[in-house]
Amino acid sequence: MSLTHTELAAVDLAVLASYEDAQIEGEPDFVVELIDLYLDEVPRLFDSLHTAIQNNDSTTAKRAAHSLRGSSGNLGVLQIAAIADEFEHLENQCGTSATQLLQSLENEFRRVKEILGAERQKRSR
Amino acid sequence: MKILIAEDDPVSCRILTASLKKWGHDVVVTHNGNDAWRALHDQGAPPLAILDRMMPDVDGIEICRQLRREKTDTPVHVILLTSLNRREDLLEGLEAGADDYLTKPLDTHELRARLQSAARILELQESLRQRVHELEAAIAERKLAEEALRNLSLTDQLTGLYNYRGFLNLAEHHAKTSRRTQTRSLLIYADMDGLKEINDTLGHRAGSTAISAVADILRRTFRDCDILARLGGDEFAVLVPNIKQAASATLLERLEGNLRSYNKEADQEFTVALSIGAVEIDHEEVWHIEDQMARADEVMYREKRKKKGRLKVASKT
Repeated sequence: MSLTHTELAAVDLAVLASYEDAQIEGEPDFVVELIDLYLDEVPRLFDSLHTAIQNNDSTTAKRAAHSLRGSSGNLGVLQIAAIADEFEHLENQCGTSATQLLQSLENEFRRVKEILGAERQKRSR
Repeated sequence: MKILIAEDDPVSCRILTASLKKWGHDVVVTHNGNDAWRALHDQGAPPLAILDRMMPDVDGIEICRQLRREKTDTPVHVILLTSLNRREDLLEGLEAGADDYLTKPLDTHELRARLQSAARILELQESLRQRVHELEAAIAERKLAEEALRNLSLTDQLTGLYNYRGFLNLAEHHAKTSRRTQTRSLLIYADMDGLKEINDTLGHRAGSTAISAVADILRRTFRDCDILARLGGDEFAVLVPNIKQAASATLLERLEGNLRSYNKEADQEFTVALSIGAVEIDHEEVWHIEDQMARADEVMYREKRKKKGRLKVASKT
């Protein structure tokens, strides 16, 4: 199984932009709000994944990966969604491959943080 | 429309909430299955629920299953949120009773279309529910009207004789006129013997046949101008206006004779018998039918206790 997903964009900004439809006039920027929610949620899920792997608790690990895939998919964060999906469907969510996938997730998140941060800046202006 | 959301993922939850609010819906937000279940059972609970398939405590499929176990005429319309690549989740959800589904990542255009279809279904469901209520009310009203009509009726449905009400009306009228016309009357109170045994051993259909047989025998025995009635159950009454002195005994013998010949001839599994109380009413007195019926009833009771088959005429008063 390949651990790289280079064929996918890190963030599909068109997906993010589609949520402008839900913007209510006079309220804070909705896309910015979603970015903040996401940037807040992902580190929590990573913590949960680390703890679960340490405790050999694959149920919790699987659930956290599922949430990560859901949130990421919804915001067009495609790479993370794909890796999280791969993680969720591992035979063992607490083995070596799991640890490796978690590592790639964290690496990818650094990249995503930058892209989303820039997008946030642009929209807050 | 009031819509419940049950979604533990904050990003999905926010997207759903914002979109629904933007489209003018009233949103109840929950983040786990237990809260969702409670909200669906509150007063004024939402008619539509969007439930995430995966939640940490009670998942969306389990909520569906529990909801469908409930008997209600306002079932919640459930849209289940599942992952795009999990076909088995989707099938399991529909089997558990979900009405529709949405896949993640969320597509807000699809969400909007699904909500429109849900609104149409809920509208149909509501108009159907109202129609059922209207029909139920109409049926209840009709039953009341029939009951009222039955109470107004003067004849007994099974035998075609007068019923209790009819008998009282006519007999009371006769009581008033008998003094003026200087006529003597005979009142007969008759109670079937053994109707309960016929019902118990041969069934109610045989019981009804026996009652009808008694009515026919009474019709054969008395004249058209006599007032024949089935008072109810196994009780009958006859008022013979304008009877000549000493004619009572002959009339009762004729009744007894007709009963005997019925029992001999009829091709029935049962025989009919009557306990009879008869009283003559003198035209000199002012009388009321209810008092005279009480007298006749008493004579009948004594007769029933003795029950040697002889018919009795009580002397007046």
